[in-house]
Amino acid sequence: MQTKRFTRNNPPCGRTRREFLWETGGGFAGLALIDLLSTDGFFGRLNAASVDGAPPELLAPKLPHFPTRAKHVIFFFMNGGPSHVDLFDPKPALTRYNGTPYKGKVKVGSNNRPIGYLMQSPFEFKKHGQSGLEISSVYPHVSRFADDLCVIRSLYTDTAAHASGNIQMNTGNVIIGRPSLGSWLSYGLGTLGNDLPSFVVMTDPRGGPIGGTSNWTAGFMPAAYQGTLFRSKGNPLLNLATPEDVSERTQRHSLNLLQRLNRKHLKGREQESELAARIHSYELAYRMQTTAADVVDVEQESEQTREMYGLNNRLTADYGRKCLIARRLIEKGVRFVQLYSGGGHGPETWDGHVDCIKNHSLHGYETDQPMAALIEDLKRTGLWEETLLIWGGEFGRTPTSEGVGKPGRDHNWLGFSMWLAGAGVKGGQAIGATDELGFEAVEDPYHVSDLHATVLHLMGLDHTKLTYFYHGLEERLTGQRGQVIEGALA
Amino acid sequence: MFHWLGVSLIFSVTAAVAGSRDLPPPAPAGVDFSEQVEPILRDRCYACHGATVQMNGLRLDERGHALKGGDSGHPSVIPGDSARSLLIQTVAGLDPDRLMPKTGDRLTPEEIGLLRAWIDAGAEYAESADSSPLAKAKDHWSFQPPTSPPVPVVKNTEWIRNPIDAFVLARLEGRGWKPSPPAGDEALLRRMHLDLVGLPPTPQEQHEFLKEASPEAFDRLIEELLDRPGYGERWGRHWLDVVRYAETNGYERDATKPEVWKYRDYVIRSLNQDKPYDRFILEQLAGDELEDATAETHVAMGFNRLGPWDDEPADFDQDRFDQLDDVVRTTSEAFLGLTMGCARCHDHKFDPLTQQDYYGMVALFNGLRRSQTGRREVSLPVGDHTQMTRQSERDERIKELEAKIDKLREDFRIDRLRSGQSGLPAKAVAALLEDIRKRTEEQKELARQYSTEMIAKTAEALPPELVGRIAGLEAEIARVRRSVPDLDRGYYLYESKPPEVVHVLMRGRAASPGDVAVPALPAALVSSQPPFSAKGNSSGRRLALARWIASPENPLTARVLVNRVWQQHLGQGLVRSAGDFGSMGDRPSHPQLLDWLASRFIEEGWSFKKLHTLIMTSNTYRMGKKPVAGYLEADPENRFLWRAHYRRLEAEAIRDSMLAASGQLNRKMYGPSMVPPIPEAALEGHPDPDKIWYTSDPREASRRTVYAFIKRSMLIPMLEVLDLCDTTRSSAQRPVTSIAPQALTLFNGDFANEQAFHLARRVLEEAGPDLAQQVDLVYRLALARGPTPDEHREMVDFLNQETEAHLWEVSARNRNRLVAREKSLVQLCRVVFNLNEFVYPN
Repeated sequence: MQTKRFTRNNPPCGRTRREFLWETGGGFAGLALIDLLSTDGFFGRLNAASVDGAPPELLAPKLPHFPTRAKHVIFFFMNGGPSHVDLFDPKPALTRYNGTPYKGKVKVGSNNRPIGYLMQSPFEFKKHGQSGLEISSVYPHVSRFADDLCVIRSLYTDTAAHASGNIQMNTGNVIIGRPSLGSWLSYGLGTLGNDLPSFVVMTDPRGGPIGGTSNWTAGFMPAAYQGTLFRSKGNPLLNLATPEDVSERTQRHSLNLLQRLNRKHLKGREQESELAARIHSYELAYRMQTTAADVVDVEQESEQTREMYGLNNRLTADYGRKCLIARRLIEKGVRFVQLYSGGGHGPETWDGHVDCIKNHSLHGYETDQPMAALIEDLKRTGLWEETLLIWGGEFGRTPTSEGVGKPGRDHNWLGFSMWLAGAGVKGGQAIGATDELGFEAVEDPYHVSDLHATVLHLMGLDHTKLTYFYHGLEERLTGQRGQVIEGALA
Repeated sequence: MFHWLGVSLIFSVTAAVAGSRDLPPPAPAGVDFSEQVEPILRDRCYACHGATVQMNGLRLDERGHALKGGDSGHPSVIPGDSARSLLIQTVAGLDPDRLMPKTGDRLTPEEIGLLRAWIDAGAEYAESADSSPLAKAKDHWSFQPPTSPPVPVVKNTEWIRNPIDAFVLARLEGRGWKPSPPAGDEALLRRMHLDLVGLPPTPQEQHEFLKEASPEAFDRLIEELLDRPGYGERWGRHWLDVVRYAETNGYERDATKPEVWKYRDYVIRSLNQDKPYDRFILEQLAGDELEDATAETHVAMGFNRLGPWDDEPADFDQDRFDQLDDVVRTTSEAFLGLTMGCARCHDHKFDPLTQQDYYGMVALFNGLRRSQTGRREVSLPVGDHTQMTRQSERDERIKELEAKIDKLREDFRIDRLRSGQSGLPAKAVAALLEDIRKRTEEQKELARQYSTEMIAKTAEALPPELVGRIAGLEAEIARVRRSVPDLDRGYYLYESKPPEVVHVLMRGRAASPGDVAVPALPAALVSSQPPFSAKGNSSGRRLALARWIASPENPLTARVLVNRVWQQHLGQGLVRSAGDFGSMGDRPSHPQLLDWLASRFIEEGWSFKKLHTLIMTSNTYRMGKKPVAGYLEADPENRFLWRAHYRRLEAEAIRDSMLAASGQLNRKMYGPSMVPPIPEAALEGHPDPDKIWYTSDPREASRRTVYAFIKRSMLIPMLEVLDLCDTTRSSAQRPVTSIAPQALTLFNGDFANEQAFHLARRVLEEAGPDLAQQVDLVYRLALARGPTPDEHREMVDFLNQETEAHLWEVSARNRNRLVAREKSLVQLCRVVFNLNEFVYPN
């Protein structure tokens, strides 16, 4: 599908930025274009189309800035702040100092909670794979793929709070209202699918993440780029179902009438692209009813596959189902899928203030087998070659407990771990380091903006060139910051 | 990719000689660069060859670069020789494979002629001799004082209803074009109603009006609509976009801003009473500092507090500046059409706004404080100066009395503890008596443990004499409180002490303060700074700012406002970037018309209603929307205003129109917001799905959309999907997108289906059993016109087919023709609500 040709970065859609802002008519006339282009070699054809001056559309596929393997992203969002020292950042020194009050200078923790007592991880760390990457016993299944993971142990962000933390991890900034990573990718690359949203979010049955829709907003970009909430059961999309007392025949009959009248109305107004785009959006919506319902119908998968994802186990069924649907979504060309583990507040999420051991045992168990199954499945289907995986939460947790005999850990945003895997990622390694105890990133510290720059880079986009003109500024996902984490690249 | 401009050079040298005869002729000499040439370059060339992007190294926005050419080094522009200038050869398409611009339509022969004449005359750019940023600023069109241009003379004087038409027609006649014929009476009637009150005309109104429609009758209609309360509800919403209105703070708690809805009501009321815009500005920026401040002007100050707010910021200093940034940005964008946000970190790259200017503005607002108790925000009293003083004196007095009571109780407690009568363990007594700062860890724990018990026990032991004295003081408090009744409350930021010194922040970070910034207006825009004189509790800075913004001398204020109003009426602004009048913004399509409107607006007392009347009585406003062959190709964006513009209704007008048609609209005005039902599935994205959405009863939820609760972490999906504006920043225009989720919302969503049901019920009741009359009434209610014969046939056929199909589908026992008829009519109504014409009025 993809050509290796190097292509110059065009300004947004090859138009002036202002025209782009004024662009109307949305994405679905563009999807007609995709229909034509998706059959073979669309990159080459797209190029030809833009030279012809075909009207560019919001979600039409666009060339990356440079050739790349990755086409899709799946982001495992461990909502609440997973503890790095219990998962991917072993700290033997904590065993040595276990139970002693912390006397160092680093100030972490939230809401003036006491910094507490150093606490060793109750989970056993082992070396895995040929690389010998150390992973704790929370993730036995994921450990099988240690050689594929690139763990970044030296991340930091700017905030101790869940809301601003989630929002920064998703949008690059602690302030609400900016477009999220998935929006930037949809804006920069368009969608590859015909009749599904390009940016899909699946939340936890226990609730959404703190910050709500601010986490997948398109901010100042048009709504076409915003994340779409997708349910793993029943009707996956809002208003997808035909109204209760309307038969399918009536639905189609009514839609036919609507479209016939709209086409008549279009006569003599053919050049009004907005009117045409709107007509198209109804056909697309109708097709979406089938496609989206089909995507969540995991009964179509073999029993073996369902078992592999943990669908037959009460604890893993939900995340397993989401992981399986994620594969089915990217098969349909969805660009960005975000899967939340944990929702609501406190113990319902990875926010292990009270008992981090019990908390992580549960949420780790819920996600471990499903994620491993997805990796295996992607490798089986070949999608591994073009899919980038991200694992992590809004921050990490303190190496201290919140009191003696109280095995809870507080928020730590000065040093924590995330991992990347899949297309373009150099697996089997850990990058950077926190201090001896795990408080602060000290070796090759990377800000969350660096992670974003790296993700964009892996998707073929230069974070300094992917800009959106708004209110007098060339806005960027990475703001004035960001450097690509070169060590993570294959 | 191929660098084809480089390739084209070789070609051009030979082709130039061969092809110069094929070039369009130059325009007559005397071409004006700023008026005639730069708009072409700006619209068609600068995106790829301008200040920010230079494809193939070519830059056309500066003479030096244009003469030098791109990467190849071959000049693009040869002054005095347009035929050999590469720029002309490429735009003329001498070699069709090398045609420029790459996107959009070709330049017209007229446009190429203008470029040629300009090059032949020496290709002078209108650069000031002094190229300092400040001097450049004086050159920028929107920083010049508005002129009062003479009304142009036109040939077709019959078309002129007011001077707007003369300005528009002069440009059209210049191209040899004619304005489009007027819209039909039905279409214009619907257009005017939707424009001014956001609701369609009722069938009764249509009937009455169309009996005697005439241009003069439409003039009278404007006045009548402007008098309706719906006018403020419609236009108030436009203003709420500009001021980032929402009712919660965002973030984890996403708390509701107390009393914030009063600001929304203030806006609606102000518009309905045609409050002069200059006064409207003063009230919102400095309602507390006005001589004649009132409860209303304090509510207006809510403008300053509408932004998002994080109640647990990671860095309090940084957060303080983020809040000030919100106010500075919103103020400059809303009133001045200037994007000042960039100057927080560095001097503005394109506009003459420096970091000093930005922090000078920050200093104007730095006195403002947020009233809060911990994380919880509290509202503030509102009233005139006397009332405010009286209440604050009263509160001081009450505080004193309360302190007295506290002291009596405290002294008694200490006595009891000292005397050993407290009945508490000795250690606890010692801990409680110890100075709070000197307590050991153990004592702190003991104090925590025993303080409640101690207070309870001493309260019981209070001697009658003390009880009596406390009761006396409490009675006095009650008396004082009664003597000055509580004022109403509002939501605004207050100023109570001299503002702290502001420093310029390096890269906008609070942790890196630089030079001191004195309070100041942007230097490029004023010849001298006004006095900022403190009065009472207030620094007087905002008042000075507001007075400058609201003065007739301000070059931006009136222009920006008339452009906003024009945009809502005509579909796009004369300056399309309605929130950016700086150098990165659009140039006005009709600069003289814009100036004339701005001057007229000021002359007529900054009256919104007179401005509406002026625009809507013009023939320009009343044109039809049909495309004209030839014009459309030459000017697809209708920049010359040869017709009226198609634009989709906003989410609010779509929802309100449905409610009006179905007969469910509740016209109750003002007060706390209503909470319309939203799909349960939408709440699954929220961390507190059970606690955030208390749906109003159906009657209340059927109020106009401007009264709907806007919660930042849970925007009403129907509004959000239909392109509600950004609720975190000032929004100058709404994007219009057509995406499948909109179709799902309007075709499958509960709201649309419920309204279709109510519309069908209403039609059955009012039109009776005759299908033809039912169809007719549906059309009149929803589209404000009767169906064409063809539509009529389509609809009646649909009703019949659907009824028969329905009867066929249900079991014989349930077969009921009346039910089937009603169900098919509901379907028909649903279809009509989804028609393009319903959301894109003609």
